Amino acid sequence: MTDQAIAGRRLAERDNRLSDEMFITSLVAGAAVALFLLASILVPNFFQFQNVVNLVTNNWAVISLGVGVTFLLVSGNFDLSVGGIVALSGVLAVWFAQSTEGANALSSGWGMPTWLAMVCALIGAMLIGAINAVFVVALRVPSIIVTLGTMMLARGIAQVVTQGSQRNTNLPSDFGVLGNMTMFGTSIKLPVVLMAVLILVAVFVERKTVFGRLTYLIGANPVASRLSGVDNARHVIKLYLFSAAMAGAVGILLASEFKSGFSNRGMLMEFDALVISLLGGVAIAGGFGSVIGMFFGAIILATVTSAATGLVLSPDWQFTLKAIAVFIAIMAQTWALARRHA
Amino acid sequence: MTDLTQNPTSGDRVKRFLKDYYIYLVLILVVVVLSTANLDKFPLFERGNFLSERNIINILRISAPILTLAGAFTLLMISGYIDLSVGSAMSLSAVVYAMLVINGVPFLPAFVATVLLGVLLGAINGFLVIRLKITPVIATLITLSLYKGIALLLVEDGVSAIKSGGDLKMPGWFNDYGRDGVLFGLPWAFWVAILVTIAMIIAQDRMKLGKYAAATGGNPTAAKLSGINTARTVILLYVLVGVCAALAGIARSSFMSLGDPLSGDGMELTAILVVLLGGTAFSGGEGRVLKSFIGALIIMSLTVGMLTLVPAYFQTLVVGTALLLAAASNHLVSRRDSEN
Repeated sequence: MTDQAIAGRRLAERDNRLSDEMFITSLVAGAAVALFLLASILVPNFFQFQNVVNLVTNNWAVISLGVGVTFLLVSGNFDLSVGGIVALSGVLAVWFAQSTEGANALSSGWGMPTWLAMVCALIGAMLIGAINAVFVVALRVPSIIVTLGTMMLARGIAQVVTQGSQRNTNLPSDFGVLGNMTMFGTSIKLPVVLMAVLILVAVFVERKTVFGRLTYLIGANPVASRLSGVDNARHVIKLYLFSAAMAGAVGILLASEFKSGFSNRGMLMEFDALVISLLGGVAIAGGFGSVIGMFFGAIILATVTSAATGLVLSPDWQFTLKAIAVFIAIMAQTWALARRHA
Repeated sequence: MTDLTQNPTSGDRVKRFLKDYYIYLVLILVVVVLSTANLDKFPLFERGNFLSERNIINILRISAPILTLAGAFTLLMISGYIDLSVGSAMSLSAVVYAMLVINGVPFLPAFVATVLLGVLLGAINGFLVIRLKITPVIATLITLSLYKGIALLLVEDGVSAIKSGGDLKMPGWFNDYGRDGVLFGLPWAFWVAILVTIAMIIAQDRMKLGKYAAATGGNPTAAKLSGINTARTVILLYVLVGVCAALAGIARSSFMSLGDPLSGDGMELTAILVVLLGGTAFSGGEGRVLKSFIGALIIMSLTVGMLTLVPAYFQTLVVGTALLLAAASNHLVSRRDSEN
């Protein structure tokens, strides 16, 4: 065989192998399953079907936030504002829906019908996303600093609207419907089903659409993507608006579930969303990662924390455990990729 | 900082002047506004204006932690790196210092031990970033979580902080360091902050460290090729930030007379805000320690002064807005001519 043929065959062999991304994703999925089995051995009553369901249903909010955060990370940008947006949109939805004649400032709102209040709250959330986009794209401020600022801005507005506490009176009776509706005659609630749909759509967009593939190109090599005629700025603007809209929806659903707008809701959710993306193999430098990986990252985090609670560790362990989990995940992924290419 | 234009126009000169002196103008503006505002109702100010001796002493005492941190944090950001774990390192140091003191360790050994802890915490950050090559943001997010977690674990379940209770009693001298006036009515913690800042200014202007930091942030490849050990520079800067975080933790815990595992929460945001306000470029390479120090004074005057004018729940909104404005103005002032 000629050298060329050998090289060609090597290329073909490489194509038949998994891509690095699928390799890492399956690694993460394997780790999630292994951790679950390990926890089942160590923790009594852990190995139950209901427990598996709980790992997902208890974390629908963070997983939904993780979708937008993952897309942005793949494009090479941070979004730490999602936790603040969760608080803001929830508070706004409640405030807009509260009837106008309350006994005091915290019990009277704008008197909008529920659907309109929720739509307006969603628009409010997307405004924060627009601020993110303006600062990152037009002013070229590093996204980590911008989104830390908008995280505080969003939560700050929520705190001012609720005067530092919460609004939960004088709500229309249908306000709690969306967040508490159960589906298919089971105890699974609507938000969990929406999360599942979101994941499926996100996987499709990520794998099979031009938009999804461009996100990877922009993250991997922004100069190349611009030179090949991609409007990077516009793409990143869309991603920030999408992420803010998802965070807004999560905030509204949570407000509906608890029938209250609480200014401290979603605290640290931005870090959890980032943590599960990292656990799921999304590279911070951009251009690498997947929504499925993020999903399994969430399962890993949920398994670790719920197993820790099962082992009667104090809740104070959660910060230390998260730190160790992220550290191990990053080192393991770097090591696995290095070995693979060696 | 070098201006390569040969014939500066008057517009350039105004821009240059603004760039060099705006931070002092802002400080003067803030002080003028706060001294003309009616602050009678607020107990911290007693009666009288913002510039009363008692009020100035109060603000400077509360500011000791951020004033201690600002200098080293500036140098780290000039080198193009960031440390999100400073708040947690500060909490952990506060808890450890309080634990040592409550268990009968005298002031000096406890102080030295806590500073050594700061060296360790900074070195861990440096190790993760330089040796294990983890992105600074992620590496210091990991240690943010880790240090905070350890601080929470050191405090017993059901107790919010290390403080007098049970068999253990905090000695009476514990808050002297953070509260007791030793010179001009200001406590040791403040004077240590001043000493640290002077040391950082010397490090920036007269020592290799400052030049190496600027070179590393300006163009890491060029710095490496010209023989600068960028790895050692960055690790050293992380250690410096760790030490300053430990000093800030000691100041905070002796001011509050307890070791609170949440006392440093949000400090990383304040530090970033202060450094950006001082005009340090995010991309690294540019910035002044002294300007960050002034930036810290501005932020502390604003936060304390604001409490008199608006309810406390406006604080997050104002700090967030300030961070965004500082980031935007920083961009406008220090925009490079050639943007790609």
